[in-house]
Amino acid sequence: MLDVPVATLRTWEDRYGQVLPARNGSGHRLFSRSQVEQLRFVRARMSEGASVADAYRLLAEQADSGAPLSAFPAGPVPRMLIQLAESDPYAAEFEEYFLKTEGFEVEVTLTDSAAREAFAAAMPAVVIVEVLISGGTGLDLCRFFRAQDGVAIVVVSPVEAMDAAFDAGADAFLRKPIDPLQLVSTVRDLLRSSALLGR
Amino acid sequence: MVGDRLLSGHQPLDEVLGGGLPGNGISIIMGLPGSGKTIIAQQYTFHNATQDRPAVYFSTLSEPLEKIVRFGQTLDFFDAAAVGRSVFYEDLGQVADRDGLPGVGERVAEVLKQRRPGLIVIDSFKALRALASDDGAFRQFLYRLARRLTAFPAASLWVGEYGAGEAAVAPEFAVADAIVELAAVTLGQREQRFLQVRKLRGSGFLPGQHGYRLIPQGLRLFPRLADLPATGSYPLDGQRVTSGIPALDPMLGGGLWPGSATLVAGPSGAGKTLMGLHFMYGGARHGERGIIATLQENPSQLSRLLEGLGWPGGDPAVDVMYRSPVDIQVDEWVHDLLHAAERTKARRVVIDSLLDLQMASLDDTRFREFIYSLMQRFSRQGITLLITCETPGLFSAEGRLTEFAVAHLSDNTIMLNHHRDHGTMARSLAIVKTRASSHDPDMQPFTIGHGGVSLGDITQRAGPPATASANR
Repeated sequence: MLDVPVATLRTWEDRYGQVLPARNGSGHRLFSRSQVEQLRFVRARMSEGASVADAYRLLAEQADSGAPLSAFPAGPVPRMLIQLAESDPYAAEFEEYFLKTEGFEVEVTLTDSAAREAFAAAMPAVVIVEVLISGGTGLDLCRFFRAQDGVAIVVVSPVEAMDAAFDAGADAFLRKPIDPLQLVSTVRDLLRSSALLGR
Repeated sequence: MVGDRLLSGHQPLDEVLGGGLPGNGISIIMGLPGSGKTIIAQQYTFHNATQDRPAVYFSTLSEPLEKIVRFGQTLDFFDAAAVGRSVFYEDLGQVADRDGLPGVGERVAEVLKQRRPGLIVIDSFKALRALASDDGAFRQFLYRLARRLTAFPAASLWVGEYGAGEAAVAPEFAVADAIVELAAVTLGQREQRFLQVRKLRGSGFLPGQHGYRLIPQGLRLFPRLADLPATGSYPLDGQRVTSGIPALDPMLGGGLWPGSATLVAGPSGAGKTLMGLHFMYGGARHGERGIIATLQENPSQLSRLLEGLGWPGGDPAVDVMYRSPVDIQVDEWVHDLLHAAERTKARRVVIDSLLDLQMASLDDTRFREFIYSLMQRFSRQGITLLITCETPGLFSAEGRLTEFAVAHLSDNTIMLNHHRDHGTMARSLAIVKTRASSHDPDMQPFTIGHGGVSLGDITQRAGPPATASANR
């Protein structure tokens, strides 16, 4: 029904102590209708990219607030805009492709000034900034984005620049060449945590 | 892939490459037809392909894809079940025919996006050059392709039948992060294969030519023996060991030092092999394991020789490593010997003979280095070495010893000679050098009979199992 193996459900029960089914006389687990709804809620959050732990935390918060679960429809998430500020058009081509195949909208900018302009117009949820853009102004650009409201920033660089990136206000740092899975999961993580913070 | 290196699955090759090929770089595998480029490329392919990070093997205009796959199936590492799951073969030749070089670039980009490979192979890369209208067009293609590959986290292997001269001029070599050359060197009727690393950005590697063979398991490499730098000191055993001929030990100042190298030189038939056997079986009688690495007598000839001496059956502590001197490759031979010594925990090694090895070696300087390295290795492990060396002519070779690479490298040198004695041929022995030891400089006549070598004036019947030696 939920497409979750029984062993996994048992693990979740042990680990999170929520959604505990009753047992019938022969030891079979009986989930109530509302418990099935709760598990549907967990599955829906996971399909949006949340980890199991986050999904259960959201479930607990929801239960505390007393709001009905139906307030969180299990439908698809609204399309999110990701802006690329990349110096390398070949890298931008790959990044755009991998984000688009995961359902994100992507705006590609290849210079510092184009990135600032596009940001004002498009208001992306995440910007991905290449350190070497426009001759190496990526960290300045990162500071500029940090000064704006409500955007998550990923700095990418072919050289190790994690400390400098975080100093400039980045939320995440990735070394190039970027692994497609790492890129997508980083963007998802940032969107998830900003969604949690925003509530 | 480990860290940022692409592994081959064959440890000696990864070691020569200082840990592996660049994991996110472009490596060229160059060599003339038949040198094994496609084999090594397929080896990397099957070793690295996973369902998450597959390998894509592009054929181009050189060899039809079907042939590459069909031939690949004859190799042990070819896994038919992986094809279509983690290994994808694709014919770039058709795209190249239809859309030229720009089409090739686009297709590679598409495949990177769709398959997200960890490794791509383009075989043959050199053939793509024929598609370019001119140098400029090829450089432009190269530039774009390299940028695409740099932007994606995958290793690429460009395979090409480039000759050594092309590496200096072809623009793809400037783009490459690593260049591995497969070459064959012909000596008379014989051919030896060598692998050489020409370039490896951001990493050290083992320089020089390393012998290899192509076998069903793929390329088997024998890294050239070079003494390790900064080896430091190693403990020396203070107790001498027997030469195997009890009467000879006092002449050597009490026997041989463990870990020493002794050269036994002399003309054909002087008794060099026999001295080697004394040395080996003399040690075996004291429980020292040993290896006779011979290029002279095959095992049957060796048993006959032992029977003639009255030592039938040999000794279980003695292993014989026989290789025919025809077509041996020195690097492979030494690899086998070191491996055998390690496996059997040998304390003694006889090499019979140096001349056979020297003839199999392509270059004298390299041969000296190789003998030196071998001696150093054995010395560090406390393995006592005896090397036989044939000198030209029938009579004395005195004064000609320096012609032989190892005379000055060995710790001890024993000369065997023929001389005329009242119309018959007689044998004599002289110790011309002992390092860290005094020795008896007199020439000693000796005879060979049942039981082996008997020394003249201080005659004492020698050789196992006849008499035991006290010198140990």
